[in-house]
Amino acid sequence: MLSILVYGAVTSAIYAMLAVGFTLIFGVAGVLNLAHGAFYGLGAYAAYVLTARLGWPLFPAAITAVAAVALFGVAVERWLIRPLRHSALAVLMITIAVGLLFEQAMYLLFGSEARNVPAFINATWGFAGLDIGGQRLLTLVVGAAIILTLWLFIQGTRLGAAILALSQDREGALYVGIPADRIYAVVMAISAAIAAAAGVLTAPFLTVQPTMDLLPMIKAFSIVIVGGLGSIPGSILAALLLGYSETIVAYAISPAWTEIVSLVAVLLTLILRPAGLLGKRAAF
Amino acid sequence: MVGDRMRGRQAAGMIVILAALAGLPLFVRSDYFLGILSVCFIYGIWATSWDFMSGLTGRENFGHALFIGAGAYTAAFLNGKLGTSPWWGLPAGGLAAGLISLVIGVPTLRLRGPYFALAMLAAATIMQRLTLIFWQYSGGEEGIPGLDPMFETKTAIYYLCLCGFVGITALLLLFARSPWGLILRSIRGDEAASQAAGIDVTFHKIAALVVSACCAGIGGVLYAHYQEAVTPDVFSVTLSITIIIMVYVGGIGTLYGPAVGAVLLALLPELLRGLGQYRLWVYSLVLIFILFFAPGGLIAPLWRRVAAGRP
Repeated sequence: MLSILVYGAVTSAIYAMLAVGFTLIFGVAGVLNLAHGAFYGLGAYAAYVLTARLGWPLFPAAITAVAAVALFGVAVERWLIRPLRHSALAVLMITIAVGLLFEQAMYLLFGSEARNVPAFINATWGFAGLDIGGQRLLTLVVGAAIILTLWLFIQGTRLGAAILALSQDREGALYVGIPADRIYAVVMAISAAIAAAAGVLTAPFLTVQPTMDLLPMIKAFSIVIVGGLGSIPGSILAALLLGYSETIVAYAISPAWTEIVSLVAVLLTLILRPAGLLGKRAAF
Repeated sequence: MVGDRMRGRQAAGMIVILAALAGLPLFVRSDYFLGILSVCFIYGIWATSWDFMSGLTGRENFGHALFIGAGAYTAAFLNGKLGTSPWWGLPAGGLAAGLISLVIGVPTLRLRGPYFALAMLAAATIMQRLTLIFWQYSGGEEGIPGLDPMFETKTAIYYLCLCGFVGITALLLLFARSPWGLILRSIRGDEAASQAAGIDVTFHKIAALVVSACCAGIGGVLYAHYQEAVTPDVFSVTLSITIIIMVYVGGIGTLYGPAVGAVLLALLPELLRGLGQYRLWVYSLVLIFILFFAPGGLIAPLWRRVAAGRP
């Protein structure tokens, strides 16, 4: 019972980190970013190169990896997405091409075998007869902290207010002088950084290989559909819902069935409440 | 007048190409090369069927491999596990793909927004995972080997794939030029306006998806029996995206463009030896090039120019 509670929370935190960035860039810029999984994967690979290959200490390596991926996200937004923004389909296709290039590049550079990234914390905590890996707890704590920081940032700063304004009414925001293109770049950087942070944090206990970007991304947009496209509280709620349902299914039936949970959740949501749990078109 | 001449040239060009393809086995004796061409025709079926739904109605399908895999695995179960004749696979595989398309299409196609695209991508990926997880039934990573080929000789298989490709492309082109095709195009143009004109847009979108899925499923069956095995790769996102890239190269929404584009693009890595390993790398660069510099594709505009007699 307790293990369901803890492992469900860890899974939910990972899902929430992935889904929040995905829904943020969709809600604000209307970009359906199918390269989101590539940002997650790049974070993990950057951590692998910096620690295992170059021998950096863990903490600076993690920060550098996240910053590098954020820069990469800005570059993708500036040179690939922005010129094609007139067509939603072209944006979708270009992000898919970026995802495909990521997979191929990692395959050519590092081969198809899984890579190991050292854990930040090797200790395991035991309480009430349950042993849980320190890295998983760290993922839970840092994930929650990141999402809380994002919430405070959007609610409490001028830049956050500009992001909120753009997501609510693009033309209105342009009229009052909000520089949309610059805000889109900032949002892309935030979204890529959070995905990369998820990649860095989970790299020690999940597999790092070229095809790692796909499944987390599928989870991210399942969550986003269930929570309501563009709604951040919705995606946090849906991440908790999906994280816990998968953990419960894994314990009660078998881990094999967890993959079906998100598909069933998506189809049920679209049949019963297409707008998602918490409406849509409001970033917060 | 000009239109008549253009149509005459197009028909003449089509007949020449078809005659060349039909006569090819008389001159090319290499089983290897005929095999490669058979696969190219199967890719042609997939690309044309993708374009019929997504190109005409403007609803992008990011998981066409779901239908291909459904057809291929149905054929494999029937022939490999139950031992029925390979020919039963064709109707059964098409039917299975059509049924699956209803499960995804009915909830998602009545909505506006990217729901259909995302749900298809998710469904295909999750099916691929399921074939690995339930390996007792699906053979896991190795898939189901030991299927019977449709014919004994490669030449006969070549003609089967050519007939399937030409037949399906002709049928879909016929649909696309019929009043139904006009309805589907009107949905792409302005969905709200077609709805206001009294068209049941949801019904037509779902019907187009079912037709597209059946054709892709039949292509999947041909592929399974050509390979004499199926593996979970038939569900892969890579396959879905490869098909979309082929459609883009051909010219989205024209059907004949994607048909030709798929055959040429599938042939390309085989002709340039050593490129096979970098196939996806090349495809993604081609896609980026097309998005930026040739949004209308390459094949269809070229064909129109040739047919109009302009240099």
